[in-house]
Amino acid sequence: MAACNAGGPGKDSAVRSILITGGNGGLGLGIGRYFLEKDAGARVWLGVRSRRDAAEALAAESGERCRLVELEVTSREAWESAVAKILESDGRLDVLVNNAGMHRDALLATMEDEAWSSVISSNLDSVFLGCRAVIRAMMGNRFGRIINIASLSAVLPPAGQTNYAAAKAGVVALTQTLAKEVGRAGITVNALLPGYIETEALSHMDEEAAKRARAGIPMRRFGRPEEVAAAVWFLACQDAGYVTGSAIKIDGGIF
Amino acid sequence: MSDGAELRQKIKEVMVEELMLDFEAEEIGDETPIFGAEGLGLDSVDALQLVVAIEKHFGLKVGDAEKAKEILQSVETIARAIEAEA
Repeated sequence: MAACNAGGPGKDSAVRSILITGGNGGLGLGIGRYFLEKDAGARVWLGVRSRRDAAEALAAESGERCRLVELEVTSREAWESAVAKILESDGRLDVLVNNAGMHRDALLATMEDEAWSSVISSNLDSVFLGCRAVIRAMMGNRFGRIINIASLSAVLPPAGQTNYAAAKAGVVALTQTLAKEVGRAGITVNALLPGYIETEALSHMDEEAAKRARAGIPMRRFGRPEEVAAAVWFLACQDAGYVTGSAIKIDGGIF
Repeated sequence: MSDGAELRQKIKEVMVEELMLDFEAEEIGDETPIFGAEGLGLDSVDALQLVVAIEKHFGLKVGDAEKAKEILQSVETIARAIEAEA
């Protein structure tokens, strides 16, 4: 498979280093697998916290090309330590995929403070901390690709997601702003807005609800993790160097 | 060229290359202000990039904002800071 040439100056280096947060989740794993399959020169780092069984399995089957790194995404120290570990190992960090996140849905009238703050923290603070942790290394390399996984909820929020939708809309705004700050350093920053994707996040949905949801999608099906991964891959490529500050929907045409 | 002049020339080259400036290194004077309309007209985004470039090429760490303001006044002030660390 052709490499995506994520590397900028020094792009011929054997290693292209990619960090994916939420590395034990369906989407994070799907993105990691996609890079490993497409690019023999890719080193994929899966950021994990407490749950890591699936990430460990992918690392075990990929050998040295896929590694786990301890990363509590809401902690500045954890970010600094993870990035230092990657730089020490690979001497570079080319691509950051901010994929970790969670939701705790509730109507605003009854939403507990903790449901608000934890969702804002894990979806928005995490992206701020991640971008800040990698930006100097990317500037030094005069190359970088940051891909923030937002959500369709950022622009088409359902009732019950004031916290999640606000956080994801914040991610889009952060993306657009940061793109302006680092564009001249050869770093692109983009957001993806997935709709319904077949991951564990949908597993709570019963068959009736799933049927109703599919009926509202022009494609009449949910998306697959690899269909989000394909967009991440494109944005990570050298050839996507003029795409920055964009928010791309991957939703089967819902909007 | 003396060591000092060579260092100043190298700083100018790094600035032009790393900041993708639209003029030649030779057009930058040692004392030309880096910021503001009467000088090179660089902004805060350039400043951050310059901090990273100085560390990368000359090994000088510019830790806090106050120190950065002091060092990033002109090629001359950058050169003196590098020389002081050497």
